[in-house]
Amino acid sequence: MNESILSRNNVNIYGQGEIPMLFAPGFGCDQNVWRLVAESFEKDYKVILFDYVGSGNSDIGAYDETRYSNLEGYAEDVLDVCAALDIRDAIFVGHSVGGTIGMLASLKRPEYFSDLIMLGPSPCYLNDPPHYHGGFEREELLGLLELMEKNYIGWANAFSVSAMSNIDRPELARDLESRFCSTDPIIALQFAQATFFTDNRKDLPNVRISTLILQCSEDIIAPVNVGEYLHEQLPTSTYKLMEATGHCPHMSYPEETSHFIREYLMDKSENVSELKRIGDLP
Amino acid sequence: MEDRFNFAPCGFLTLSEEGTILSANQTLLQLLGYELEQLMGENVNIILTVPARVFYQFYFVPIIKTGKPVEEMYFSLKSLDGVEIPVLINAVLRKGTREIDCVLVPMHKRNEYENELLIARKKAESALLEKRKANEKLEIALKELETKQAELMNLNEENQTFKTETKKELHLAKIIQEASLTSPIKNDFIQIESYYEASSDLSGDMFGVYQINPHQYGIIILDVMGHGISSSLITMSLQSVFQRLISKGVSPDFLMKELDNHLHGLFQNNEETWHYCTVIYLLINTFNQTVHYLNAGHPPALWQHNTYEQYELSSTCPPIGTFSNMNFDYETFNYEKGDRLLLYTDGVIDPYDSHYLSALLKRYPTVPLPVLKEKLLQLVEEQATYHQEDDKCFILIDLKDGVDVLNKGM
Repeated sequence: MNESILSRNNVNIYGQGEIPMLFAPGFGCDQNVWRLVAESFEKDYKVILFDYVGSGNSDIGAYDETRYSNLEGYAEDVLDVCAALDIRDAIFVGHSVGGTIGMLASLKRPEYFSDLIMLGPSPCYLNDPPHYHGGFEREELLGLLELMEKNYIGWANAFSVSAMSNIDRPELARDLESRFCSTDPIIALQFAQATFFTDNRKDLPNVRISTLILQCSEDIIAPVNVGEYLHEQLPTSTYKLMEATGHCPHMSYPEETSHFIREYLMDKSENVSELKRIGDLP
Repeated sequence: MEDRFNFAPCGFLTLSEEGTILSANQTLLQLLGYELEQLMGENVNIILTVPARVFYQFYFVPIIKTGKPVEEMYFSLKSLDGVEIPVLINAVLRKGTREIDCVLVPMHKRNEYENELLIARKKAESALLEKRKANEKLEIALKELETKQAELMNLNEENQTFKTETKKELHLAKIIQEASLTSPIKNDFIQIESYYEASSDLSGDMFGVYQINPHQYGIIILDVMGHGISSSLITMSLQSVFQRLISKGVSPDFLMKELDNHLHGLFQNNEETWHYCTVIYLLINTFNQTVHYLNAGHPPALWQHNTYEQYELSSTCPPIGTFSNMNFDYETFNYEKGDRLLLYTDGVIDPYDSHYLSALLKRYPTVPLPVLKEKLLQLVEEQATYHQEDDKCFILIDLKDGVDVLNKGM
C-alpha cells in the first residue's frame, strides 16, 4: 500500500463490506459531498473517499499545473489511488465531471473497475451544432470562469472564518476541518478550465464496463438530452431519470440517489446469478 | 414592518431547498423589473445569468447543503430586460425550516473596481507568464550555448592538437626543404651568395648553385606560382630534376625542356592542380668567361658590368608549365672581372620597384658580396609592405678573373 498516495489524495476508507466502492467528487468540491450517500453503503461495501490533488485535504504541494491541465491528470489520481489500495473490480461512483474522470480511468485500466456510476454526467458542456447540444455557449462558460474569479477575491479565508457558524451542528465538524470546495483560486480555475472545455464524446463508444447514468430533472449543467446522448453512445449503459432536480442530487436528494445506485447493483447481481443458472444447464 | 422589509435597502429572497422562489421583497423586484407573481414558484435560475446558474449549482447549493452560510458570494442576476446586475449574496438555511433566506446587495460601483482589479491582476499574471516564458527560453538558449561552447572547446582542443602536430610536421618539412639548398661558393674565379626565406613554413621558391667542373657553374632560381605547401611540393619535385641534370652539365635549353616536360607531366591528368613556374638558369664558364642563360618568364636578372653599366637578362620565353612543345633557346654573353649578377624572385621586391635594386647595385659597386647582401636585405625590408606574404629568394654573383689570369700569375 502506497502511503504517500493515500495521504496525497486524502484517501479515507469506511464500511464493513468487501466490494470496493470508490466515490469521486465533481468539480469544485471535496469528498465531503458524498457523506450522505456514502454512509448508506458503508454496511455492505468498502467505501473509499478521496480528494483530487488541489482540492479538499489533499497535498496541495503535489499540484502540477501541467498534469492537471486536463482531465487525464485527474484520472491519473484515480488510478494512483486504485493502485495504492490494490483495487480490482471497484464500483466507481462519480459526480458530474467525476464521472468523466472515472470513465477515462477505466479506459486506461479497465481491470480496476466493475461498474461506472455517473451522476449528472456530461461528456462535453459546449454546444456543437447541429447535432450536439451540451448546454453552453463558449461565452457562457467564460462568464462562469469570470464569476469564479470575482468570487475568489477574498475567498481564501472566507471559509475558515465561516467555520464557527456551525457550532450548533456538531455532525458537520469533520466538514469544517477540511477546506470545503477548493480554496485555492488558481487551482479551482484550472480545474474549471479542464472540466468545462473538455470534449470526451469520442471516448464513449470505447467504454467496456457497464454503466449507470443517473440523470437529474431540470439540471442546467447536465441537461436530459446530454444524459440521453451518453446512454446512446455508451455500449452497456443503464439510464435512470431521477425526480431530483438541480445538479447535486447526492446532496439534495441523497435517498433517491442511493436508491437508484442500490437498485442497479441489485439488478446486476441478479442478472449475474441468472446467467450462471443458464450456464449450468446441459 | 412589512414596508420596512419590502423597501429595505437590500434585496431579500427566500428559496426552497430545490431553488424555487418562495418570496422576494420590492427592492429586489424593482431591481429585476419583475412583478412578484411572475417570480413566485419559478426556479431561481429565472433571475440568474447562465454562468450564475452553473455557479449556483457548484457553489451555492453545496455550501447550503452542508449547513454553512453563503457569505459575500458574487452573483450576476439577470433582469426581465436581460440586463446583468452584479450583486453580493448572503444566504442561510433558516433554522428549523427547509427555506433559504438570501440578502442581495447590488454592487455596480464595487464591481467596476473589482473588474479593474481583475484586469490589473490578469495583466500582471500574463506579464509574469511572459517573463517566465522568456526566462525559460533564455535558459534553453543558455544551455544550448553552453553545449555549443563545450563543443567549440573540444573542437578547439582538437584543432590545437592538429595545429601543433601540423606545425611540427611543417617545421620538419621546412628543415628538409632548407637541407636541399646548396651552399655558397667562394673561390678565385667566382663568389656566390644567396638568400632564401619562405613566407610560411614552406617556400615555392628554390635555387641551386653547382660547380659542375673546375670551370663550369650552374646557377638556377625558380618560383612556382603561389606559396605554401602545394607550391613547395612542386618546387621540391622540380629541384630533384634540376639537381640531377645540372650536375651532369646539360645545356640550358635541354634543362629547361626537361623541367617544362616534368611540369606538364605532373598536371596532364589534373587541370585543378595546374601550376606554372618562372625560371632563370645561368651556365657560367669561368674559363672563357661566358654565360649561357635562359629566362622563362622570370623577373629579369641584373648584370652589372665592371664599368657600372647595367643590363637586364630579360625573359626569353614564357614560364614553364604553360604551353606544351615550347622551344627554348639560350642567350650568351661574355663577362669581365668585377662584373656582378643579381638573380631574384618577385617576392624580394615588386617588379615595378626593380629600379631600387639596380640603384643599390650601382651605389655599392665594389663592396664585398656579404656586405652587399646585407644592404640588399635592408632594402627588401624597407620595401616589404607589399610583398611581405611572398617567398623571397635572391642570388648575388661576383665574377672574377678567368683561368687565363691565374695562369699568368703562375
